[in-house]
Amino acid sequence: MGKLWAVIRREYLERVRNKWFIFVTIFGPVFFGAITFLPAAMSVRSMRNARVSDVRVLDATGTGVGERVADRIRAINAPAPGDTSAAARRAPATQVTVETLEMAALAAREEALVADVAAERLTGFLVLDTGTVRTGDARYLGRNASSVGEGNQLEAALRRALISFRLEQIGVDGSIADTVSRFRVDLATERITDKGRAGSGFAGAIFGFILSFTLYMAIILYGQAILRGVLEEKTTRVAEVIVASVKPDVLLAGKVLGVGAVGLTQFFIWIAGGAFFWSQRMSLMSSMGADPAALAAAQSGAASFTFPTITPFTMVALVLFFVLGYTFYASLFAAVGAMVGSQEEANQAVQPVMMLLVSGIIFVQPVMLNPTSGLARTMSLLPFSAPIIMPLRMTAAPVPALEVLGSLGGLVLACLAAIWLSARIYRVGLLMYGKRPSLRELGRWIRQS
Amino acid sequence: MTDLALEIRGVSKRYAAHVAVESLSLAVPKGTVYGLLGPNGAGKTTTIRMILNIIAPDTGAITLLGRPNTDAAVLDRLGYLPEERGLYKKMAVRDVLRFLGELKGVPRGELDHRIDGWLERMSLRTAEKDWSKQKVEELSRGMQQKVQFIGTLLHDPELVILDEPFSGLDPINAQALKDTVVELRQRGKTVIFSTHLMDNAERLCDAVCIIAKGQKVLDGAVAAVKAENAGRTVALGLEGGMSPAVHAVLGDRALVARADDHNRFVEVELAAGADPQQLLQRVLATGARIERFERVQPSLHQIFLQRVGATGVEEGMSGHG
Repeated sequence: MGKLWAVIRREYLERVRNKWFIFVTIFGPVFFGAITFLPAAMSVRSMRNARVSDVRVLDATGTGVGERVADRIRAINAPAPGDTSAAARRAPATQVTVETLEMAALAAREEALVADVAAERLTGFLVLDTGTVRTGDARYLGRNASSVGEGNQLEAALRRALISFRLEQIGVDGSIADTVSRFRVDLATERITDKGRAGSGFAGAIFGFILSFTLYMAIILYGQAILRGVLEEKTTRVAEVIVASVKPDVLLAGKVLGVGAVGLTQFFIWIAGGAFFWSQRMSLMSSMGADPAALAAAQSGAASFTFPTITPFTMVALVLFFVLGYTFYASLFAAVGAMVGSQEEANQAVQPVMMLLVSGIIFVQPVMLNPTSGLARTMSLLPFSAPIIMPLRMTAAPVPALEVLGSLGGLVLACLAAIWLSARIYRVGLLMYGKRPSLRELGRWIRQS
Repeated sequence: MTDLALEIRGVSKRYAAHVAVESLSLAVPKGTVYGLLGPNGAGKTTTIRMILNIIAPDTGAITLLGRPNTDAAVLDRLGYLPEERGLYKKMAVRDVLRFLGELKGVPRGELDHRIDGWLERMSLRTAEKDWSKQKVEELSRGMQQKVQFIGTLLHDPELVILDEPFSGLDPINAQALKDTVVELRQRGKTVIFSTHLMDNAERLCDAVCIIAKGQKVLDGAVAAVKAENAGRTVALGLEGGMSPAVHAVLGDRALVARADDHNRFVEVELAAGADPQQLLQRVLATGARIERFERVQPSLHQIFLQRVGATGVEEGMSGHG
């Protein structure tokens, strides 16, 4: 027991004191935040900033709908009253012009405008023909035709114009038609489980996704750390001195536990840091010069984001999946480390283990979209994908307790098998130098020890 | 039983393609320096790994200090220096030594005191420079060897096993190692080391075991081994070197089994039944002037060549170290 502690302590202290650990612990969240949220934030931003400028409306409807559409485009793009932000000031004034023409002249005019757009004299043009009023079909041709933000705005403008036009046609008062055409809906979904309301369905799925992805990242990061650690002991030949003092199994266990403890430390720091910043967000943001009114709005927005409710059973199951999943993969990574003689060989030999791991993660999206499907059920019962898929399922939809227990039971058995197998490969492999073993030799190693 | 530091009884180890060790038996009394000799690939490292229970023998039993070697507690009383040496490169010297000490069950409170003593003794901690905070990789190769050696002895083991300890050592460290072996013996410890360098073994060992191709060739106290193999070796010194006529005499297989020219003298092993007097007369008859003609005890090297034969040499035997 004392020796196991010595191994765990060495693994833990050497890694936690390492410069890289400190660097990753501090900058890891910044980096992950950047790669997850920046693209999303940027696309939202570009949608919000999208402004349709310099657009020609070709109106061949003969009803004057073209003017209505132009009005709506101008209205959507006009800065909100009182919006004095830099973005609003920078935005170019929207220039929408309407050309009214006969259907017969439309084709020729379209050709001419295409040439104008090609020569960059015009950004694009909207074509409204006689069918538009009846069916709502219209065409936009332009250099920015692939821009989702601008497309959405044109569509909204067109829809509002057509709705108000048709309402007025059937005798509705102009201002009422206008109000109706601006009506918007916003749907919030909430999950109901056996225990009743369980918070927003969206929040549950996000929480499950974060959980699965965190485990995946943890396995990759710490599994590789174990592999490198074993490989280091092998290549520096320090392994022989160590196994003359402790059983290889103890060394293996100490490594897995020590590196696991490093991971827990890192998570604890991240969670504690995250909680701290969340609790201090108001004072932090106002100290950075944020507008108090906007803050209050953000505050009420955040309050409406209900955290998914987690039962004690789910909580325990989630922790078990995390720990067992880590143990399963960590022992496999250790076995790979003991099999090979260099990092290059390790990169190859680790492929089968990585494929097991990735086979879980590639189904994250389908499972998230449909947590009750057969695929989701199967993948959450198979031991190698269960640690990733089951937590996702459990937070996205209720899962029968029997299935959770069955999955956990299978995972426990798989863990025992992985540890048994790895310990045997480890015991022989640690002192084997030279050629990487073939599958048959590997079989002999396992029988031998 | 208990006066033996190590007893190996009928131990064999086979690998898929070959037999590494075959029914090997030997006994090492406490308080001796014991040499395990043999050419490379003879099975020395396999034997040592089996003694340390790093690998399990197919058959046979090994007793260490009166306990079976599968008893984990007995391993704490052993110090081991493997042939392939290495330490955690990124760790500080003191941390590596602490870890190795803890693995051998040295109480944590006592560790630093012992480490300091050893570092000072090996001049890794002096008034000017303390290497203990340095990372292992920042040390010179010679200093790393010293650290490894401290790690082997830090827990004051009763039995020290050194696999090819002299290989790769610079002369200063080789001297320090030899001094330490002698001192361990004086303190009543047992030292077992393997080597293919017969000169080292001859100088240091109380007893030896020669193995080749996984089998024991001979074993016993060095004096006894030499006495058993004595009486057939003659040192022959000639003024002005060897003439072709003398060369012809030494080539007579009826008289001489083997002649090893050491330049200043020739170590002659007589053929079975041959008489030294006859050799003396034949050499005088060539007209050579004899400086030295002496019946000598054979060196371990000679005994080795005699008993293991040329095949041992081909397999990597090197007697001149």
